[in-house]
Amino acid sequence: MDFALTEEQGFFKKIVADTVDRLVVPKAREIDEKDEFPWELWREFAGLGYLGLRYPEEIGGMNADPVTAMIFYEQIARGSVGFAQSVIMNALMGTNFIYRFGTEEIKKRCLYPAMRGEKISTMCFTEDQSGSDLAATRTRAVKEGKEWVINGTKMWITNGAIADVTTVLATTDPSQGVKGLNFFLIEKGTPGFAPGQVLDKLGCRGTGTGELVFDNVRIPEENLLGTEVNKGAEYLAEILDEVRAMTGAMALGIAQAAYDEGLEYARKRLAFGKTIGSYQLIRAKFADMATEMEASRLLVYYSAWRIKEKLPCRKEAAMAKMFATETCLKVVDEVTRIWGANAFAREYNPQRHFRDARFLLYGGGTHEIIKDFLGRMIIGKS
Amino acid sequence: MNIIVLIKQIPDSEALVTISEDGAMLNIEQKFAMNLFDEYALEEALRIKEKHRGKVKAITLGSGKAVEALRTGIAMGADEAMLLEDEVFLDGDGYATAFVLSKAIAKEPFDIILCGRQAIDDDRGEVGQMVAQLLGLPHVGSIVKLDIADGAAVAEVAVESGKEVVKVQLPAVFTAQKGLNEPRVPLIVGVMKAMKAQIPRVTAADLGLTAVQTGKQGSKVKVVKYSLPKKTSAVQFLSGEPREAAIEAVRILMDVERVI
Repeated sequence: MDFALTEEQGFFKKIVADTVDRLVVPKAREIDEKDEFPWELWREFAGLGYLGLRYPEEIGGMNADPVTAMIFYEQIARGSVGFAQSVIMNALMGTNFIYRFGTEEIKKRCLYPAMRGEKISTMCFTEDQSGSDLAATRTRAVKEGKEWVINGTKMWITNGAIADVTTVLATTDPSQGVKGLNFFLIEKGTPGFAPGQVLDKLGCRGTGTGELVFDNVRIPEENLLGTEVNKGAEYLAEILDEVRAMTGAMALGIAQAAYDEGLEYARKRLAFGKTIGSYQLIRAKFADMATEMEASRLLVYYSAWRIKEKLPCRKEAAMAKMFATETCLKVVDEVTRIWGANAFAREYNPQRHFRDARFLLYGGGTHEIIKDFLGRMIIGKS
Repeated sequence: MNIIVLIKQIPDSEALVTISEDGAMLNIEQKFAMNLFDEYALEEALRIKEKHRGKVKAITLGSGKAVEALRTGIAMGADEAMLLEDEVFLDGDGYATAFVLSKAIAKEPFDIILCGRQAIDDDRGEVGQMVAQLLGLPHVGSIVKLDIADGAAVAEVAVESGKEVVKVQLPAVFTAQKGLNEPRVPLIVGVMKAMKAQIPRVTAADLGLTAVQTGKQGSKVKVVKYSLPKKTSAVQFLSGEPREAAIEAVRILMDVERVI
């Protein structure tokens, strides 16, 4: 049994952490306050080459294993979770189906530029009436000759307002539930495809998250991202564990950022002539936060290791996502208590972490659905 | 052009540092970073290489963990790295460190040696000069600009209220000051190269050295004791007329605090 990062992974963590500290952390507050996509930071960061993290070296990627990728997800979320969402959407979900199923021509047009940050990608599941319940997807795909015709509206799409390349979930037959689902590549400029409303969110700001509208969008048949029709749910299942573990890693990143702020404050803030960190009730908070973060980290990285080893991971990844996110919510809350009234001031960071953490409740499945799924898995179907 | 960069791994500026009860040693949280001034040195070496071609080799004396600083050097663009690692090298002063470094450098081809003007952990600022002395090379300290042409270097050194321009024949040793450049953020291709790099370890025996010449035993300066600065209240208000208050302030600074 070996829980240690390899020397190489430890080094990677240090380099990514330093890069995030230098480039991302100083911009985090501005991204949150302006709620605008940080183009300058995007270009600078993309130029470093991290967007191809999960793809082979032969096509300009890093070939990072899931454990190494988890280090990246955690660190970038520690810097700015809004920016992390845009980056990870591009590096993982937004390009995954194109990498796996795109023709070489599609890869040249969409994947390689996205890996260089020249194009921005996204993946669209959620609609105004459905989220975790994918079977309720209403966006329709109809085959007409050698084309697919897509109609529908997507909501809560990260990078939505700025996306050049979208992987869109649509059903060929709503009566088939998840067995009618498929993913399609739709590119910016395709007639009938347009961004709609951009959402004004509580946290995770600066991501251009919002609505995408598909009005009789006609795309060639090779834009079906899959080798067979109606296998979308199966293809999705192949990355679901990594997406959930990644969400847990992002939660760890936010928690760590908040925890570090709390620690610094507890060591210097005076009350009754002593630093507040010398009082038992504050010490207890750190004991609890550190313990729960450590447990979350073990679960997230254990899941990543199982994915790397190609072991079943549906249960572990769901637990990791849920536990790390709940831990994150506790940590950001405790840090606002440690900071006292200052945590309520917009000029300091604890309130941003407090707001940002909420979003992770929904991505990768709500905890109500995850608990139901885990309970069913443990007890068995009735 | 062969360029050697001397790098030191130091405790991260956020690492918790405490003094042991007997005052004999420091307990330092295990968080490390490359010395900032050495980053300037490495960046300058990479820029010289990019302009004049050649090879950059990073050398560190330290324990196994220090390999991380060397990997960072490779990630930034260094071609090679070498770790001087031996138990007998540890706990040395600037002289003992410079002595081992100079012995290792002497086995390498070099035209330029660069290092930071000081390490920001002990702030002694002596290794660069000592390496130059031990190798019989010219030394230019605290440079903020460096131009290489025709086997010579023209360096700028910030001096009080101005700058000094120095010309020196190569090979020579230069120590880097803030303002020399802005160190680059490593590209992922460099990071991948660094992750895979096999970094050779060199021991005292490899350099033909014995324990008494190196580390603690070879040091000329011994640390007697560490202690914290005297605790004083952060703010002291002086009452009275401005003139009297100013006189009192000067008296405190000179006679009580002895800072001027």
